[in-house]
Amino acid sequence: MKAKVLALGVLLMAVPLFAHHGGASLYDMSKEVTLDATVTEYQWTNPHVEIGLDAKDNKGKVRHWIIEANSPPVMANKGWNRKSLQPGEVIKITFNPSQRGGSVGRFIKLVKADGKEMLRG
Amino acid sequence: MRNRLRWSAVWLLGILGFISGCSANKGGKPTSQVPDLSGIWLGKGIQSLSPSDPMGHKRPGTEGDIPYTPWSIARMKAQRPATGPDQDFAKTTDPALRYADPDGYPRASIHPMRFKIVQTPDSIYQLWEYNKSWRQIALNRPHSEVPDISWFGESVGKWEGDTLVVDSIGFKDSTWLDPIGHPHTEDLHMIERIRRVDPETLVFNFTFDDPKAYAKPWNGELTFKLKTDGIMTETIYTISDELSFRQRFLNEKPTIPIRPSP
Repeated sequence: MKAKVLALGVLLMAVPLFAHHGGASLYDMSKEVTLDATVTEYQWTNPHVEIGLDAKDNKGKVRHWIIEANSPPVMANKGWNRKSLQPGEVIKITFNPSQRGGSVGRFIKLVKADGKEMLRG
Repeated sequence: MRNRLRWSAVWLLGILGFISGCSANKGGKPTSQVPDLSGIWLGKGIQSLSPSDPMGHKRPGTEGDIPYTPWSIARMKAQRPATGPDQDFAKTTDPALRYADPDGYPRASIHPMRFKIVQTPDSIYQLWEYNKSWRQIALNRPHSEVPDISWFGESVGKWEGDTLVVDSIGFKDSTWLDPIGHPHTEDLHMIERIRRVDPETLVFNFTFDDPKAYAKPWNGELTFKLKTDGIMTETIYTISDELSFRQRFLNEKPTIPIRPSP
């Protein structure tokens, strides 16, 4: 587990925190949330790719989230395209939560049902 | 006789040296052939042109290498960039984010996407992936008598050995030089020295001369690496995109109706 945390730390340090959308003024970069979720929408759009999802909270109530990834060209460099996710897919997703509350987040990584891991570009 | 031969040899070597100097620059390349800058290039994703603080961690005025005037430091402190120690994306005054204005130059090259250089005998073009924008550097000609004021300025260039020297004026003063918000006026005079220091690396050295904004000329540098994979993509960022983003992620009410989906 320690190795996983360390590896993620190294990964985050290696990715430049570009000024634009998804910066530290919007998201708490020191926190990570991981959810088992179902994709409800996937928008390959500007300024940043958006992933909509439903996930159950601790009480079993379904909560809707919107997760901001990176810009399409940067995501494409990591192997993403406009069909990388489909509504209805079950995923495990990790993101930084919002500083301002609300069900939004900054994408870090996800694991698909077949075990394939996809990272932020 | 021996002296005459010696002087003849010296004279001949001198002539050969002169001819050699005419046909080759310091890099050993014939002057009839200029360096090839063409290719797709990607920068490091810096936030500030301050050489001592490229990631923009320091507050304006504490960098130590930017000679602000009272006008420019006041302007810097009044801005709210989306990067740096005082970043505030939600209330940013960054015109490239708030209004989806063009980045202008040199900020276009700081955006973390690629640009392509296309080289012709009379002009060199930079084509940016972001917002599909471009800039022309006209070679071996003077500036216009009354240059227009434009987002990317008017640029003329000439080769000095292996270095492309570019002189630019006529910049619209609403753009920021970099994401942290270094300002400039319409009087900005920018000199670039562009050199391919090795096959994989392109270096732009800038001198910014803008007396109202900076007490003396100062220097910045951008370095780019050659990208041989992939093709240039379309990434056009519009005010509609920004309003939609703010509605979805910041729960802001759009100031104008967002374009409906077809």
